[in-house]
Amino acid sequence: MSKKTGLSRRDFLRSAVALGAGGVMVGALPALAKPARHPQSALLQSRPTLNMWWWGEQELPGLQRWLDRAVASYEGAQINTLLQDTSVVISQFQTAAAAGEAPDIQFLWNGIYHMESVWFGYLEPLDGLVSQEVLDKSGATALSFYEGRQYRVGWYPIPMVHYYNKRLFDQAGLDADNPPKTWDEFLNACDRLKSAGITPYGGGIQDGFWGEWFFGQSLVQSLDSPSDAINLFIGDLDFREPRYHECWVRLRELVDLGFLNDDISSLELYPGIDLIVTNRLAMGLSVGTRVPADNALLEGDLGVMIMPVFGEGALAGKPLLDSQGLGISSQSQHKEVAADFLEYINQREWLDAMWEITGWMPSNSDWDSSVIEDPLVAKIWNEWNLGDNIAYVPNLMPAQFWTDAMFVAAQAIIAGEMTGEEAGEQNARIAQEWRDFNPDLVENYQIWAASLA
Amino acid sequence: MIRTHRLTPYLFVAPMIALLIFIFGYPIVRIFEFSFKQVRGIDGPWVGLRNYELVLNQPLFGEAVMHNLQLLLAVPILIFISLLVSVMLYERVAGWRLYRTIVFIPYILAVPIVAVVLKNVFQFNGPLNTALRSVGLDALALDWIGAPSVALWTVMMVIIWREAGFGIVLFLSRLLSLDEEILEAAELDGANWWQRLFRVILPQMRGVVEFYAVISVITMLAAVFSYIYMIGRGGPGTSTMVIELYIFNFLTRNSLPGVASAVSVMLFLASVVLIFILFRLRSNAMEADLA
Repeated sequence: MSKKTGLSRRDFLRSAVALGAGGVMVGALPALAKPARHPQSALLQSRPTLNMWWWGEQELPGLQRWLDRAVASYEGAQINTLLQDTSVVISQFQTAAAAGEAPDIQFLWNGIYHMESVWFGYLEPLDGLVSQEVLDKSGATALSFYEGRQYRVGWYPIPMVHYYNKRLFDQAGLDADNPPKTWDEFLNACDRLKSAGITPYGGGIQDGFWGEWFFGQSLVQSLDSPSDAINLFIGDLDFREPRYHECWVRLRELVDLGFLNDDISSLELYPGIDLIVTNRLAMGLSVGTRVPADNALLEGDLGVMIMPVFGEGALAGKPLLDSQGLGISSQSQHKEVAADFLEYINQREWLDAMWEITGWMPSNSDWDSSVIEDPLVAKIWNEWNLGDNIAYVPNLMPAQFWTDAMFVAAQAIIAGEMTGEEAGEQNARIAQEWRDFNPDLVENYQIWAASLA
Repeated sequence: MIRTHRLTPYLFVAPMIALLIFIFGYPIVRIFEFSFKQVRGIDGPWVGLRNYELVLNQPLFGEAVMHNLQLLLAVPILIFISLLVSVMLYERVAGWRLYRTIVFIPYILAVPIVAVVLKNVFQFNGPLNTALRSVGLDALALDWIGAPSVALWTVMMVIIWREAGFGIVLFLSRLLSLDEEILEAAELDGANWWQRLFRVILPQMRGVVEFYAVISVITMLAAVFSYIYMIGRGGPGTSTMVIELYIFNFLTRNSLPGVASAVSVMLFLASVVLIFILFRLRSNAMEADLA
């Protein structure tokens, strides 16, 4: 990296922002109720300016307020935050890093969504930088590791769940306290619901994300380890084997049996989930962050379950847990300060503050969950966060597979234009295309698979 | 009279030419360069024609090209609608100024707004299908944005709905600038409305129609991304995948700017060739007219 001399435009702007923000902060300090931290080291006392690019307000309203308070009360550094647009979270960071202008702290989605930046050398391993206790308890999940080194601190969890509507189960004469656990029980429940005039299963796939969730929750049933998923992409396993495209066969089965809502192809993900919450759909895919609000809307008649099991893989029937996280750029001039801030927001008071401000839990297992009043949310904390959970395998999926294979196959199957077997063929072909386009990444994937096995 | 060196005028315009080269030339040169590299981040190793080879062998690219070509069918429809409405407005029917404003409104609306609103209208259980079912036209209540066989046509309808506004106003402004004496002379000579339209009005509009055709062709080839992305992101399946979305996916989602650049170069060259052909045809037609 070239060494800069004098006051560059960037330094000037940075100083101006720091002065402005500092002025605002001085005015705001008396209003802050939370105790401020007093870092000990001489480095921290010099109060450097750090840049933090983050994402999350889009899916967890209130996170901005929580972060603003945490940043304002942190005395170790002046931290300038930038909320990123969803579509540029990765590209903005990678482009900045390639130009040597990466922020000090960066929001990181899990798995491949930050692993490419690890391979390009843009992220700093956190072992020995952030305290081991925070690394272990922050809930970063196994997909934050590469060659035994951890690159993310967990921030808040994303449990992947199946919703079911207890009122509609009651109407169909089903036991709402015992949702289906096996695929046969599930098909039987769908049949009973359909006979009662209730749409059994579905959501909205128009934007493609329902396909990812279905693929993530169903492919995993055929896997013995997350590394199997990587092996499918790098060609060591083959999507054309019946076991590895059974998820698509099951989706087509639901289409053929008429169990899906008729407007699934024209609805987007969240309006599709709303059908369950408004008593128009009995079961479907969802995400844990919605549970507090949705269960309140249904006055406690919302249920969550693990996807009914059809597969025989070792991972079948286990709760899936993803988490959002934060990492430190390898270009940061203040890595220790950045690490200190990540430890700071994992302190008890800030974990509690996240629940108070956003109504959603942090991923840190140290958090005192006794404040949860809703038994359904408590169930998610205990079974998904603290239980024997498994990683969310779509986070291992190359982006090209997402756009050209998963997105396409899920929509085409639901439109009745592709069978499960054809989807297996298509998946294998796109995986090969990805390898052809990205020969430089395949070896990294192989190493990653070995470390996940 | 002061004599100046013959290069002096060029020196005066040199800064502007340098600026134009920097603004337009530099990015194009970089895109050409990137197309021969496996770029990660902002640079990468030279791979020759590998990016082009990969793209041309990928079936999805062929589908994207076919969809763009299919969208070209919208061009004659756009021209026809724009001509029809502008001529009707030119007849100065009562309230024509208000109608002119109304037909132009879709064009000044932002595409994302148009797409979101119309996407809602076109949902399988949305307002359009509800209305169709309520009058017994269930067979016409299609899955407008959810069925692969219908989705691209729906996108085309949305494009036509919005883009026609520009054509109408463009044609109307040309009509309003026509020499009315010629029309009056034709009328005195006994020409009926149709004869005046086809023999007097349309020949004089040839230039503006050709200009609009060129603009529309470029739109269908290289400026439909916002419609496609907002309405279906290329889906359902691959049914609305177009070249721009293909480029976008490789650039921002697959982190392969080299591949995205290769496709951009091909799209750029195709557009240049097409525009050259269209202008050549126009030039030939003008020469024929003069002869």
